[in-house]
Amino acid sequence: MGLRLTIVLGALAAWSAAAGSAAPALAVPELGAARTHAPDPAGLPPVKIQDLHYGDVLFHFYGRDHFEALVRLSAYREQGHLAPHARDAELLRGGLYLSLGQHREAREIFERLLADTTTPAPVRDRAWFYLGKVQYASGLFDQSERALRAVSAGLPIELESERRLLIAQGLMYRGQFDAAIAELDGWQGPENWTAYARFNLGVALVRANFAERGHAVLEQVGLLQATDPELLALRDKANLALGFALLQADQPAPARAALDRVRLQGPQANKALLGAGWADAASGDYQQALVPWAELHGRDILDAAVQESYLAVPYAYMELAAVGQAVGYYEQAIAAYDAERVRLDESIASIRAGRLLGAVLGADRAARPDWFAQFIELPDAPESRYLYHLLADHEFQEGLKNYRSLEAMSRNLEGWATSLGAFSDMIETRRNAFAARIPEADRRLATVDIADINRRRDDLRARLEAALHDRDVTALATERERQWLSQLANVEAGLAAHAGNAGFDDAREKARLARGVMNWNLDAAWRMRKWQAERAMRELDAVVHDARTRRTGSVKARQDVPAAAAGLAVRVDAVSPRVSVLASRVKAAMTAQGRRLGDIAIVELEQQRSRLDEYSVQARYALATIYDRASAGEP
Amino acid sequence: MRAWIKAIGVPTIILLAMTAARAQAPAAPPATERSALDAEVQELRREVVDLNRDLFMLEEDLLFPASTQIAVFVSMDVGTFFDLDAVQIRIDDKEVSNYLYTTREREALLRGGVHRIWLGNMKAGEHEMVAFFTGRGTHGRDYKRGATQTIDKGVGAKYVELRISDRLRKLQPEFVVRVWE
Repeated sequence: MGLRLTIVLGALAAWSAAAGSAAPALAVPELGAARTHAPDPAGLPPVKIQDLHYGDVLFHFYGRDHFEALVRLSAYREQGHLAPHARDAELLRGGLYLSLGQHREAREIFERLLADTTTPAPVRDRAWFYLGKVQYASGLFDQSERALRAVSAGLPIELESERRLLIAQGLMYRGQFDAAIAELDGWQGPENWTAYARFNLGVALVRANFAERGHAVLEQVGLLQATDPELLALRDKANLALGFALLQADQPAPARAALDRVRLQGPQANKALLGAGWADAASGDYQQALVPWAELHGRDILDAAVQESYLAVPYAYMELAAVGQAVGYYEQAIAAYDAERVRLDESIASIRAGRLLGAVLGADRAARPDWFAQFIELPDAPESRYLYHLLADHEFQEGLKNYRSLEAMSRNLEGWATSLGAFSDMIETRRNAFAARIPEADRRLATVDIADINRRRDDLRARLEAALHDRDVTALATERERQWLSQLANVEAGLAAHAGNAGFDDAREKARLARGVMNWNLDAAWRMRKWQAERAMRELDAVVHDARTRRTGSVKARQDVPAAAAGLAVRVDAVSPRVSVLASRVKAAMTAQGRRLGDIAIVELEQQRSRLDEYSVQARYALATIYDRASAGEP
Repeated sequence: MRAWIKAIGVPTIILLAMTAARAQAPAAPPATERSALDAEVQELRREVVDLNRDLFMLEEDLLFPASTQIAVFVSMDVGTFFDLDAVQIRIDDKEVSNYLYTTREREALLRGGVHRIWLGNMKAGEHEMVAFFTGRGTHGRDYKRGATQTIDKGVGAKYVELRISDRLRKLQPEFVVRVWE
């Protein structure tokens, strides 16, 4: 009786994992990992980039580096970039906080967007959707449903599918199976989403006591033709849930058929094999039951279903009146349970000695140092042997995620602490270099009298304008021409002293001709020289302006550079304590989180040990019963 | 089957099933309750994000002040005629960046992301920028093209976009340099 009770409880536990509470939960995990927690790129409205910095944020977002995307988005926003994409950027910021598990910040952003009456409808719809997701993740199902139902229309098909499933799952969490059925029944979406919806519908129907319809729907999912690993896993779950539901409904033959469809190497395989054996046993075919149970018996004893098979196999032999084999298998079971208990004790001791985190993180070293990176192979050491089983525990997973997040923060802060040291050195070096240049710069600045240059330029301009106004062709004469004009003036003055003397008439005529030629030439060159003079004046203006600007810049730099350096130094000094204080707090939280993980692991392993103790007692009891019967001469 | 059901009684089974079902921790349940430690981790994460934002800006202001800053971005649309491998940037005949793209980064570009490939400093005045794009063109052939642009650097930060797009009429990729004001 005791043995039977144990096995039935085991079967029920498997059933409940597959179908009972699983109703809302089972359909979520893959969605959770792949679609529910991380914001889906498809969730962003299509956008034509009008600000390169927003595009840079999207580059990191699409590259799945959500932390870097959030940091850049926040920084660019603070720097005044992103204005053309302000609302989209806010929507993305909320989504990024959501992906990092920062529900409060995400909710505040979505609520702010919704409170703004000028937010356009497509952005509002997405804000409602993400707000609903945040509330769902926080367990606020009523609010979540209201938010999700506030979406007017126009979500992309992926988001719309997720919205509908979130509503249905929220209803199932609240036990409102009829409403969930109404939400899911007849719904068609993309292939994967539809499969999840059908699975949830099947479970909701079973839970709402529409067993026959529920079984039919689960069977549809269990018969899916799929190659996608996610759908294959869902198909296994559907078959497992259906198998145990049919077993409960006392229909062992169809239950066996459903359980046979579960893949032999998938995560549900062991439970399915155990159930398949029970289906055969329920049909009275213990010979056949031995086939799946014997297969299970050869598998890793860490699994609860395998542990149960160590009792199920001799139980079947007993039913087949093969007492000798039954005794042999019970003895094997006792030995295996004892060995496993020793290993569990070793693991518990190792975890108590603080070696668990080393094993967890050691296995993680080769993986990308991402906050949510996945694990790779685990070594078979006492502290790590049960990690896969621990990782199946939600609380452990969440704690581990926190620990790894803290570890990433710690690395990040260590990096910044080093950089800040370099920043301080850099500012100091710049200050010194600047100070060293100041005397020479001051000396040079002192030699440049911008006021005098301006005065001379203005004088030149006035002379040019006067010459242009009076059409004074001689004002634009070349140096050579000026010499000639001077010589001619001297000649003309000398000739004037001999006025009336006919002996100078030839010379006077030549001077007159020379004057005429000079005037002609100067007049002919006037337009060209005027243009050249005006151009030269403009160039001079530009040079003077440039000199003035440089001088102003130099004087400003003389004052501003030390001030800017001081400002940067103040910022570095202000931020440094933040880094060190945060680093200490992160370290303290890591220690506490590590302790908590160890505690969770020990509780879990102690539960496993209790279960093994119980199995061991049952095996010994069965063995004793057999020996008693044998000594009493009973068959 | 019937035997072991009888053994513990049907109502017990159903009760146990329901109890187990409700008590079982779902694989990814919503976080209805947060412990003080969880709350502390959340708070730390928020503060670390804020701190990183401030440090990001401080680093930019210190290393690349606006007066000398130049940022070069790479963007891509469609990408039918060109599969990008790498981009090299030379300024005044000096190599300043040589970036090899991963598959994930290429996908990010195709989705509309814009990669800030280089952030640097430049004196005021004219400079020549040459960008070389290496990858695979149509029919998987190796493809390398260059684009040149004169950059007139003023007193403010300068942003340059290297845009790879498809020129449908010629069934060729097109490489355009655009200076943003």
